[in-house]
Amino acid sequence: MKIMMLVLQFLFLVLAAPLICGIIARVKNNLRMRKGAPVLQPYYNIVKLLSKDEVVSSTASWVFRIAPAVVLSSSMAALALVPAVIAGNSANLAGDLLAVLFIFALGRFFLALAGIDTGSAFGGMGSSREMFIASFAEPCASLAIFSLFLRSGSTNPEMLGIPGPVQVSTVFAALCLIMVIIAETSRLPIDNQETHLELTMVHEAMVLEYSGSSLAFIEAGSYIKQIVWFGILAHIVMPSAVSASSGLVPVIGSAALFGGKVLGLAVCVAFLEVFIAKMRLFRVQDYFGFAGILGLFAVISSLMGI
Amino acid sequence: METLVITAVILCTYFMCAARRITTLVRGFAMQSFFLFAYALLRALTENSVELYVVAGLLFALKVIAIPYSLDRICVKIRVNDNLGLFMNTQLSLILALAFTYCSWIFSKMIVPVQDPGMAVALTASFTVVMAGLFIMVFRMKAVTQTVGLLVMENGIFLLGSSIAGGLPFFVEIAVFMDVFVSVIILNIFVYRINKLFTHIDVAKLTRLKG
Repeated sequence: MKIMMLVLQFLFLVLAAPLICGIIARVKNNLRMRKGAPVLQPYYNIVKLLSKDEVVSSTASWVFRIAPAVVLSSSMAALALVPAVIAGNSANLAGDLLAVLFIFALGRFFLALAGIDTGSAFGGMGSSREMFIASFAEPCASLAIFSLFLRSGSTNPEMLGIPGPVQVSTVFAALCLIMVIIAETSRLPIDNQETHLELTMVHEAMVLEYSGSSLAFIEAGSYIKQIVWFGILAHIVMPSAVSASSGLVPVIGSAALFGGKVLGLAVCVAFLEVFIAKMRLFRVQDYFGFAGILGLFAVISSLMGI
Repeated sequence: METLVITAVILCTYFMCAARRITTLVRGFAMQSFFLFAYALLRALTENSVELYVVAGLLFALKVIAIPYSLDRICVKIRVNDNLGLFMNTQLSLILALAFTYCSWIFSKMIVPVQDPGMAVALTASFTVVMAGLFIMVFRMKAVTQTVGLLVMENGIFLLGSSIAGGLPFFVEIAVFMDVFVSVIILNIFVYRINKLFTHIDVAKLTRLKG
């Protein structure tokens, strides 16, 4: 029963992941007084890409061909480890939140290699920028997560959120994680998903050589990565996962609550993106410097016990 | 709730240590004062005393509105909107500010009884704010920042007084507010005169005589 529900939750989250992106794009467009693409546009894109032929450069090696599969499967593996609607997710499978970080690092590693692989100038530039950003983002995310580990005394993702009155360490860890998530999902002050301007693109430059179903895989992978991060943050701020054996009604309630939390985060991110301008690439270290300070302060405040 | 407001004060202090422009610094000061006002208001609500309400209202009027406004105006008047003349870059400043917080935490754990963690947090915050004010005075090389640093230190002392001592006597608070207000006016005039005389307000270069 529990296994079946976990599998159902997994499939549901995989299917719902592109929707979040569609909603963010729609909210952004509406805020700018535009009509915007339909909310289901990411699904249409994926279906269209899957039916298209693929063009692979003759100089590309096997790394280029397997990278999309690695990206998609690593995102899915991470999704299987984080708590969402039903508790007991990560206790069944072997892996904690650190494993999630490293699984993401694996996907990013292959994507960066694939960017360099074809020898295009844009791919190499995108890869180098992505790794530059990731080298800051990972320690910040680790700091925020360590502060929560310190508090709960465990690395189990489900123990991270504490129900009850708001804790200072939660607030600061969440602020730090929001800054990291904005960078990890290539959103506005760091990267811009909407543009293919060569001076500013980071993630888009890296996947510029991909087409057809490979591109669909990579896009699906990034949608899933986004929902994983949103889920982690939502769980830290307001834990709501229930155990699978508690009956149908609490599970449905928890699913609705989870959807509401993720939707709220998506709307917040959309608002942030509309009001913030893109940051110069070499100001990124300042951005992460502040995120790191927030993370360190979260560590100190969890030592203080507040 | 009080703990959250106090940590917001600390966060504003970090923001000020990371600021690169004078306007950002002044905005950080206004935000810090606003959270201090929220703290004073919370204290007034719990203790239900008219004097604390008056103190909170004065704090709002002076430190959130009047002083930032006058600092902004002096900045516009002498046209220094560029940078702060950082003597130490933002990353290092932030790490130092965090070290202040940690050291004050160690210190306040020693002197505050263990039964009262809220008081230890307030003590930590006020020491952090005072030291960050001193830091801003020493390591930022524009004359306006000396004023802001002094005001930040005063904010720290206010936090210390209202959290540990349960508020200073009413007339002392009023006197301190008047003091602060007058000193800001005088310092603004100073900055204006320095700018007139030297055509810059970089205190690192003030040692050169000008006759």
